[in-house]
Amino acid sequence: MTFARHLADDRLFDCYVAERAGDAADLRAAEHLAECESCGARYTELVRFMDRVYEEAVAEADEVFTPEQLRAQQQQIARRIEAVGRPPRVISFPAAGARQGFAVSATRSAPRWVAAAAAAGLFIGIAVGYQLEGRRARPAAAARHEAGSLRAVTPTAVAMTGNAPADVASDDAFLSELEIALERPRTRELMAIDAFTPHFREIRNEK
Amino acid sequence: MSGDLLTAPEPGAAPRDARPAGVPGRKPPAAQPSEDSRLAVEIRELVERGDMDEARERFGELVALHQRRASRIAYQYLRDTADADEAVQDAFVKVFSHIASYREAWPFEVWFTRILINGCLDRAKARGRRERWFSHGELSHADEARASMASPGGNPEQRLLARERRGRLAAAIDRLDGRQRTVFMLCHYGDCTPREVSAMTGLNESTVRVHLFRAARKLRGLLGGKP
Repeated sequence: MTFARHLADDRLFDCYVAERAGDAADLRAAEHLAECESCGARYTELVRFMDRVYEEAVAEADEVFTPEQLRAQQQQIARRIEAVGRPPRVISFPAAGARQGFAVSATRSAPRWVAAAAAAGLFIGIAVGYQLEGRRARPAAAARHEAGSLRAVTPTAVAMTGNAPADVASDDAFLSELEIALERPRTRELMAIDAFTPHFREIRNEK
Repeated sequence: MSGDLLTAPEPGAAPRDARPAGVPGRKPPAAQPSEDSRLAVEIRELVERGDMDEARERFGELVALHQRRASRIAYQYLRDTADADEAVQDAFVKVFSHIASYREAWPFEVWFTRILINGCLDRAKARGRRERWFSHGELSHADEARASMASPGGNPEQRLLARERRGRLAAAIDRLDGRQRTVFMLCHYGDCTPREVSAMTGLNESTVRVHLFRAARKLRGLLGGKP
């Protein structure tokens, strides 16, 4: 007895899977496929599609994995399994070196005096350094003191010099230039920053 | 990884490469343990006896039997030559390291493929994580260049068309649902029967068939009936 209607897609696919796996196909479905032209054509189309997909994949993998590459892979696997099953290697410490090492550790107490000498040297160095700095600082302080006393005396002498009005004028000009510059910054990029920054004179005026 | 989750132990099937040429994916029914399963048992015994050199030599035969199929599966999963190569190597090394846990009741093909697939999935996951931080454009370009150099035969147009076809096919397979993709790859590219895939994945055999059918239907829809 065969199917009165056409085979459904899943039944058709089952036939394909069974054939591919080498299993016995559903007898009724097989009979129907043999008799029904339409289902036979659908089946052939399905098989063609699936086989093409398979062939494409195989061809692609074969192109990528050439025989040389597979041989190299085999060698690589062989190399890697060489280490499997072998006890882990323990690299022994050389006996002579070990003895020497112990000898060195036995004499470790000997250079203690070296450490003591180094500490003493450091201490002395720091002390001498402080002393030298103190000596260097004293003349400088004295010089500063002398200069201060001179400045206290010189105003009258400075005021007495002939160039004084010119110097004052140039200083005034310089300061006025500075003020103008501060009043209105010319650099456009800095204008925004200037707007956010409080001016000294504003603070001063507030006081 | 062990084969603890393997369900029904099936009689071994002959490896793909032992099948008659020209009949893609057709498996002759096998009633007794396949050659690879017998070889695996021998290697296990050699390892147990401590004859490691002989075991390594025999293992080379096992590698030769499965290497091509394994590379094909790994490549379809990972779409990267170097990654696939490493995944295959790792799977074989793992098999040799754990050969003592192999039981003859399981077909070697099932046991090995399961180890391979798990390795591929781990790698794919790790790569996904890596790709979130690094660009992977260089890898694909290197693979494309290798593929074009590996096929010097045929005219450039044919090569270009083949590459486009394969790209389209790979993109369609990528659009399959995770389980559908795994089942389709194992059945169609790995030449496993639904029963074997059921043993590998722990899914019911009828569920495997349903996933396989849906995957094929979706692929036909995406590719317009032409791969």
